[in-house]
Amino acid sequence: MDELKAPEAPLAPEKKAVLTRRTVLAAAAAAGAGVAAARLVALANEPTFDRVPITGTQGNNTGLDWLAPLGNEAARVSHLLRRTTFGATAEELDRAQTDGYAKTVNRLIDTTIAEPPALAGGDDASQENPLNVGALQQWWIDWMLASPTPFGERMTLFWHGHFTSDFRKVGNQYPFLYWQNLTWRKNALADLKTMLYGVTIDPAMLRYLDLGNSTAQSPNENYSRELMELFTMGPDAFTEDDVRAGAKALSGWREPRTQAMIDADIKRQQMRTGQAPKTTPRADSVKTGVFEAQRGYKGAPFTYLGESRVWNTDAVLDKILQQDATAPFIVRKLLTAFVSPTPSDPYVARLAAGYRKSRYDTKALMRDIFMSPEFTAADTYRALIKSPTEVMIHSAKALGDKTLSRIVAGQGQGMGQTLFDPPSVGGWPQNESWVSSNTMLARANFVTAAVQATKKLPSAANAHNTQIDGVMSAQTLKLLNEAADDKRRWSILLASPEFQLK
Amino acid sequence: MVASVDKIGRREFLRAGLVFGAGAAGLAAGYAAVPDVFARAIYAAKQEKVVNDKVLVMIQLAGGNDGLQTVMPLADASYRDLRPQLSKSADEALPISKDFGLNKNLVGTKKLWDDGKLAIVQGVGYPKPSFSHFDSIRVWETADPDRRQQDGWLGKTIADNYDSAGHPLVGCACGTTGIPGALRDLEATLTVVNSQQSFKWSGGDEMEKAMGALYTSTPGIYGALFDTAVTTARDTVAQLKSSAASYTPKAQYTDNPKLVYSSKNQLAAALQLAAQLIVTGTGVKVLHVTLGGFDTHYTQQQRHDDLMGYFDQAVSAFYADLAAHGMSDRVLIATWSEFGRRPKENASAGTDHGTSAPVFLMGDTVKGGLYGAAPSLSKLDTGGNLAWNVDFRSVYQEILDGHLEVDAKEVFSQSFDKLAIIRA
Repeated sequence: MDELKAPEAPLAPEKKAVLTRRTVLAAAAAAGAGVAAARLVALANEPTFDRVPITGTQGNNTGLDWLAPLGNEAARVSHLLRRTTFGATAEELDRAQTDGYAKTVNRLIDTTIAEPPALAGGDDASQENPLNVGALQQWWIDWMLASPTPFGERMTLFWHGHFTSDFRKVGNQYPFLYWQNLTWRKNALADLKTMLYGVTIDPAMLRYLDLGNSTAQSPNENYSRELMELFTMGPDAFTEDDVRAGAKALSGWREPRTQAMIDADIKRQQMRTGQAPKTTPRADSVKTGVFEAQRGYKGAPFTYLGESRVWNTDAVLDKILQQDATAPFIVRKLLTAFVSPTPSDPYVARLAAGYRKSRYDTKALMRDIFMSPEFTAADTYRALIKSPTEVMIHSAKALGDKTLSRIVAGQGQGMGQTLFDPPSVGGWPQNESWVSSNTMLARANFVTAAVQATKKLPSAANAHNTQIDGVMSAQTLKLLNEAADDKRRWSILLASPEFQLK
Repeated sequence: MVASVDKIGRREFLRAGLVFGAGAAGLAAGYAAVPDVFARAIYAAKQEKVVNDKVLVMIQLAGGNDGLQTVMPLADASYRDLRPQLSKSADEALPISKDFGLNKNLVGTKKLWDDGKLAIVQGVGYPKPSFSHFDSIRVWETADPDRRQQDGWLGKTIADNYDSAGHPLVGCACGTTGIPGALRDLEATLTVVNSQQSFKWSGGDEMEKAMGALYTSTPGIYGALFDTAVTTARDTVAQLKSSAASYTPKAQYTDNPKLVYSSKNQLAAALQLAAQLIVTGTGVKVLHVTLGGFDTHYTQQQRHDDLMGYFDQAVSAFYADLAAHGMSDRVLIATWSEFGRRPKENASAGTDHGTSAPVFLMGDTVKGGLYGAAPSLSKLDTGGNLAWNVDFRSVYQEILDGHLEVDAKEVFSQSFDKLAIIRA
């Protein structure tokens, strides 16, 4: 293996800032702003951008930021792929580099999201043949690794953390969670109204937030509240009266029944009572909630979000989309996942205005985000932490071994992310919340397991360029240079702070 | 081994920029040699301010615990009217006074009550309550109903009072992967241990050393956070190893196999780890564990009863274990939940988000009994919710002043009505 060398280039000007942990973190706000300089080590082989050597590595210069290479188109394309896919193969990277940044953005957004193969037994899940949650997790991870449209999977993962449901409450005696994943993918880039309608009548969601057994006579407030607070508007944009009114307006939905669910019920009843039930319900033909008018609200107009009228689900969603809080809320959440932990208010406002004007066209919004100067500004470089799923799928792709999917499925929990099992209805907190003693240990242990299990390790000779832009700390450079073989080199690289970031 | 550290406060370390990446693994190695005789010793005292060996264990009942199915107001005539279905629980309640009964599954908790070791503070809440899980969790975590504070009240307590350099276990969350908001404070070193069994470097010494080297002076906005987490992980692995070797549980910790809905919280396993950390003298002061599943919007009765059983089994075993190790006089167990639930049940035989609820304080130093006052079910507010009459920060204040013997006023910057629950 070639030895990696720190280049012999002139010293870069560097501003030293002694930051306490408090300033560094509380002002993750600053996201590097004001902390000008950094350390960039371009490696001796194949430097793709300006070489700036490390200075002042002795002592404690934790205030230094990474030096962003984003002035360079190739680095911008890598940055884009890191944030919108699960890491590119050499061919994918070549193609994107040839296409350039703008064309790659368009391809990511305009390519129809590929559907995964059907999950075996998914549609027929019932009490008798419950949905195997482990298999469901594995199925999605397999598809994250294999999908020709990984941006679609990143968006599906984003929505899974936004419109959450978990298998503990939803249960496994129905196909509902499987269907939810298909619906989120289908609507991942649809306009927000379509998405919200799909979410509201999604069978897993009907169960998870109790709308499926809410009646006008005694409305259940759970979904009505979270629809506004967590899904669309944020906590301060509505009143308790709106929660109650919304619950009334949204009542009347029930979960659908499949033939497999009905058959399992009949069988169970037969076993219990010795005879078949006299009447059996008919299977529904839809994979969504079913509206039962007799359970819904019928009566005088009432006030919801400041307007008095007769309400139904459609009108509720339209009303929410008319609220000033909605576009900025969704936009901020997307920016926090794709651009910066602390997007500025004007940036949010600008994109939100466009989103609303486009009638909540999510494709247009994502294009606006990726084409915004902020997305490739120096202070967004490595400003986000890869979620456990992202870091694991990136690793498995980098190691080029699809069979690592099994390890990925097993190791998310210790890092704080199990698919279909978010910690609460608020989904997974992002960025710094991924970091604790337990999660960092688990990230290292995942690397150990993944490198160990990879059948044929690819060469690591150029991995520092393809995976981390050749931008690394003195320690990472030194350890890569000292690594005796590819196995160790991959371990260092995948466990490095550089690789945890996006 | 930490003498030089003890003399300098953590803030000074921070100011000097020395704390991150300090050779804490070496300190941890020193801890491995702590002999049993020191198991009750005082670690982590900061500048001679805190000189006791008290430990606090906070149990979060996440999702909003229904106070009315926990401590049931048997004598309130409105109870059965408001809850035609759920009040069935009252038929099997374990009476603790002429007016109140504990949930039928709180059997071990009831025994603590009978022994005078359970204080129940009723009607605990705060002004202008939020019905949002996240807002209200933040209020309880930061002890700030105005929602301006960022730091957790326990994190602040640790940062203000305990010199945690080299003592990663001063504050510890067990049975989870992330730092709970109540412990969050950027100046408090904290560790998080999901499970004892998996808390080791599967890549051995080589990977551990590599991680230590990789995460030193890491650049970027997350650099210090990363470095501290990795340093803490290395310290914690070393301490847990020696701690586990010298611990034998003296009680039966059982998970409830029936409990699919909440078993992810593994309260029993988390409390067993907490007991291990306490009885093996790791210097732990503040522990945080969570039991989830309390957001019982539907079919509440069975779910909530199960959760009560889960809580009871875990806490009973934990107390018995500590007592058998002769350590129960050091430890205060306290519960918290973001809110109680609506007195009137909903159509799904569940309850929606509410306001005030009772809080439990348990331990040998507690003067058992009922504190505060249960809000009347016939005087609900316009939203149909319970009034509150004890500010939750009065409970916190009693925990800090009475049990941990640290200055609550320094942590909260104000004082609250005094509750005299902890024996002087």
